[in-house]
Amino acid sequence: MRISKVRITNFRNFRELDLDLAGNAVIVGENKIGKTNLLHALRLVLDPTLPDSARQLRNEDFWDGLARPLTRTDKITIAVDLTGFEENENQFALLGEHLVEPEPMTSRLTYVFQPLEILESEPTKESDYEFFMYGGDRPENRLGFDVRRGLPLDLLPALRDAEGDIANWRRSPLRPLLDAVAGRLDRQQLANLAESISEATRMVAENHEVRDLVDGINDRLRDMVGPAHAVETSLGFSPTDPERLLRALRLFIDGGKRDIGAASLGSANVLYLTLKALELDHLVAEGQRHHTFLAIEEPEAHLHPHLQRLVYRDFLRSPASEDADWPVTTFLTTHSPHIVSVAPLNSIVLLRKTEDGQASEGVSTARLELEPPIVWDLERYLDVTRGEMLFAKGVILVEGEAERFLLPSIAKGAGVDFDEFGISVCSVAGTNFAPYLTLLGERGLRLPVAVITDGDPLEDGVRLGEARVLELLPMLLSPADLADRTRTQQIAIAQSRGLFVGEHTCEVDLFRAGAHHEICETLIELAPGNTARARAEAWGANPATLDSVQFLKDITTIGKGRFAQRLSLRIVAGHAPAYMTNAIEYVRTRCR
Amino acid sequence: MSVRAAARPTPAYRQAVEELKANPGQWQAYNASGHCVVLAGPGSGKTKTLTVKIAKLLIETIREPRGLACITYGAECAREMKGRLDRLGIYGSGSLIIGTVHSFCLKQVVIPYATLGGIKLPPELRVALPSEQEALFARAVALEISADEPPWRWRTQAEEYRRTHLDRLAANWQEDEQLAALVVRYERLLRQEGMIDFDDMVLIGLRLIESHRWVRRALRARFPVIVVDEYQDLGVPLHRIVQSLCFRGGARLFAVGDPDQSIYGFTGARPELLHELANSPLVESVRLPFNYRSGPTIVRASEIALGEERGYESRGAGIGTVDFHERPQGLKDQADYICGELIPSALARIEGLRLGHIAVLYLDKNDGDVIARMAQDHGFATMRVDKGAPYPKTPLMRWLEDCGAWCAGGWRTGNPRLSSMLATWASILKIRPTNKRAQQQKVQLLGFLLSHRIPDLALHGWLVAFQEECLGRVLDADATLRDEREALSNLIEISGADGQIAQWTVAGFGGQGGSPDHLNLNTLHSAKGLEFPVVIIMGMEQGRIPRWDAGDLTKREQRRLFYVGLTRAKAEVHLTYCGWTENRYGKRFSRGPSEFLEEVRNRLNEAR
Repeated sequence: MRISKVRITNFRNFRELDLDLAGNAVIVGENKIGKTNLLHALRLVLDPTLPDSARQLRNEDFWDGLARPLTRTDKITIAVDLTGFEENENQFALLGEHLVEPEPMTSRLTYVFQPLEILESEPTKESDYEFFMYGGDRPENRLGFDVRRGLPLDLLPALRDAEGDIANWRRSPLRPLLDAVAGRLDRQQLANLAESISEATRMVAENHEVRDLVDGINDRLRDMVGPAHAVETSLGFSPTDPERLLRALRLFIDGGKRDIGAASLGSANVLYLTLKALELDHLVAEGQRHHTFLAIEEPEAHLHPHLQRLVYRDFLRSPASEDADWPVTTFLTTHSPHIVSVAPLNSIVLLRKTEDGQASEGVSTARLELEPPIVWDLERYLDVTRGEMLFAKGVILVEGEAERFLLPSIAKGAGVDFDEFGISVCSVAGTNFAPYLTLLGERGLRLPVAVITDGDPLEDGVRLGEARVLELLPMLLSPADLADRTRTQQIAIAQSRGLFVGEHTCEVDLFRAGAHHEICETLIELAPGNTARARAEAWGANPATLDSVQFLKDITTIGKGRFAQRLSLRIVAGHAPAYMTNAIEYVRTRCR
Repeated sequence: MSVRAAARPTPAYRQAVEELKANPGQWQAYNASGHCVVLAGPGSGKTKTLTVKIAKLLIETIREPRGLACITYGAECAREMKGRLDRLGIYGSGSLIIGTVHSFCLKQVVIPYATLGGIKLPPELRVALPSEQEALFARAVALEISADEPPWRWRTQAEEYRRTHLDRLAANWQEDEQLAALVVRYERLLRQEGMIDFDDMVLIGLRLIESHRWVRRALRARFPVIVVDEYQDLGVPLHRIVQSLCFRGGARLFAVGDPDQSIYGFTGARPELLHELANSPLVESVRLPFNYRSGPTIVRASEIALGEERGYESRGAGIGTVDFHERPQGLKDQADYICGELIPSALARIEGLRLGHIAVLYLDKNDGDVIARMAQDHGFATMRVDKGAPYPKTPLMRWLEDCGAWCAGGWRTGNPRLSSMLATWASILKIRPTNKRAQQQKVQLLGFLLSHRIPDLALHGWLVAFQEECLGRVLDADATLRDEREALSNLIEISGADGQIAQWTVAGFGGQGGSPDHLNLNTLHSAKGLEFPVVIIMGMEQGRIPRWDAGDLTKREQRRLFYVGLTRAKAEVHLTYCGWTENRYGKRFSRGPSEFLEEVRNRLNEAR
């Protein structure tokens, strides 16, 4: 089972959020964009531990952009669509009455906070409001406790105290696990265990030093409060009542030498998550709940990057979306590229400002239509750099490492600091831009994106790059927009949609755009042999003599990346071809 | 810690289970693990078996959040069933749905799934009032048949046609073109007014269940067990719903009924449906052998009347008597004799017998008027259930009776319980406790009840205050409660000056929920499911039972009707007749006493 859609209106950062989900979700976005509020919205619908007093929202929970004072028609709604429950009879029983769609079978649970219907004037105070929840599309179909009890959302908040929670019996995820063990244990065996503990306790208590201490405590107690109020104390290893014996068990680390308090924050967190996962499996197996939505805020807290990847790969790769009986759906809010790098491609949720800057909106990759092999490619490739791309506000896709090093410097020369604008340059290591455009484009994360590709002219002057761009163009436009256009017109349209073609290759175009001095100096510096250095000097002195084939060979000998890295330190403002600066401008102006 | 059972066993439940062991049929039904049909004759402990079985299913089989749906014939049966489970300490919380086939179809099928299933219904669903149905039907007759045609001549057969010809695309739908056209026209007129009627609920429910696998799956997930009471009365649509949900859809069936008590042929009910079900190889069929209610003579008489040997064994107290009384002067004479002789002598003869233990049964509302007037003349308080009853026993009216009983002194003893009154109130109004408005309404309700605990208050004043202080606003707010609103204003009207029940006090009204001091007046039909130490059946004339024009089918059904009447009695049955009937123009037909009565009298005499 999974949540397929979340719709929020007028709640905190969200004027109108309409978010598709594919199962597990990794929610990213800058600070104060509303990641926690999104989780809180889900809690309002699904968290059984949230008291009614917390469901009764306040004036300030309405989206700030709503004109104050609020009117009778202003209300907060949070609607959660669930699908994939029909193979599990219990989930189906809980949701079967709340269907909104038979194929694929979808049920909707909605939370509403609104002025009382009986109100005869505009609402003025908090007691003029009420909340209620309903199922399906029928507000009269009120929901009770049973749905959120059966399909609860558990939140591990950002400021959690893993160590404390494990130690505290009432909150410990260890508790239900130990209880289950107690339920399975043979009574007699338990009694025997208790007897052994009693025996050990007795031996300790009989030690006269210990006995003196206990007597001392008891005497002092009696002196202080008198015999009527004093309680009789004793020292022991655990309660000797068999029923409570197992509860006294504690977790130890390092071969039993230290208790959990001595563990590092990181280990305690990993331990806590492990216990939590076991607990959730257990609760579903016992039928106490039928699915869990586990929301973890800042899961990266205290974890080394490798651990982040290891732990959350496990959580996120769970097949919640395909397997109806999988007991847990995980939601993470994170700033960690490491966690994002192990997230399945369809689990990314990006929160950001709306165009007018008044609210937050969300986009997700849940409905990306990509062939499985392309998904695998993207996931594999993105492992390394995707992190950054998803935290960016705009992306320039380029063919290789050379552009990736050079573009930031070129931009800086033009007065654009990529870090300041949140622009990332990503190399697709080749010319297969299509999957990345899909990921970042309209049906995906809807980020401003430009593509820069080489012209790669053939001997007859036809540029291969044009063909590439024209192939990508239908992804961005309807065929009608391109009908009856000449090739030149189509290339111009492509530019207006962020697809830029060079004349030759990156290096040649830079050379011809005026950067020949910087380029030749770099060649001279890095070229391994005198002949090459001489060629570079000649081209520098007389740019018109450039032999582009030899030139590129020389650069390849040095290594394109290494060359570009070094060149990027030298490059001077104004020495870049127009298509590059146009691409930079294209993304910059579209960044929010 | 274990999976949440829908209910937990209580001492009362365990005790009830012990009691079932003494009866092999009941015990078999209790232990049946697959589809099971129980054929339960009169007084066989049917309701008890059913109740304990439901409790068992809730305790052992149903795991929350899944549930059990129990479908009963009428709202009264549903109420009775809830009361019985209540006494066993079994509540079943949200997992237990008890209601009529109409409410099951409306609430569990039509409302959640009609739109998704492609059935267009008016946005604010209104249930047509009886008067509105009648008016629309009359219009349909005028349009499809003739403007001169009296609608009542067509109503019953059109209704039966609609309930039995379920497949509009099948060839037999056009079997009777006039009726088919009439039904279609009537439904269209209803929709134009934005309304549905009670039959619609079941027909639309059936259509959704039969045509969509996802509806069946959703219902099976929510209700893995379907329990049906009074199967013989529920007709073809329910029969098909059961087939669809249980035999196609995979839900488990537990059905109880008695083909011999099938007396609603005019609604499309057929005893054969239950026979067919009981004989299905998929079903374990159980017959309950004992009659715990009636003495042996009454059991014998009832089998003679039925014309079938069922071999029920009487386990009732005493021998039971059946007496015959000829009052040649006619119906009024019989009524006079009943009130002047039979009732007083029974009260004097049988120790501890009170008026509420006696029932007078009759064929129709006109007989009811005669006996009701006579009873009033003799100073008997009465409780009348037939179409001439002062008000219909709707859920709200039943609840008002409870409120009356509470105000009249019930609050001292906790009978009825305030909490169950509040729960019923909430369920009638579909209120959720978190709703702020609902809380205000509850406060108003409690305020009213507390300040009106005056047994001798005239009913009219009490009702008017009740309506003004809290009921009116609530009922006005909900379009689906129109029939209840109508029933309330009718009740207020007839309790006012010159009204039919102008003399009633709150206490008297409260007693209508079942009181030991009200003589019971019922039609034979409405007596179904009830029992009384003394039963008097009046108007046993040839030409009325069986009717002079009865065909074979009708005659058999009327036999069953007589059978139902006889089997209501524990100790005494009295049959009265005059030997003649009169038609509406005053013409007299002397056909003698009912042949059914003669058969019983002759064969009982032979045996002596």
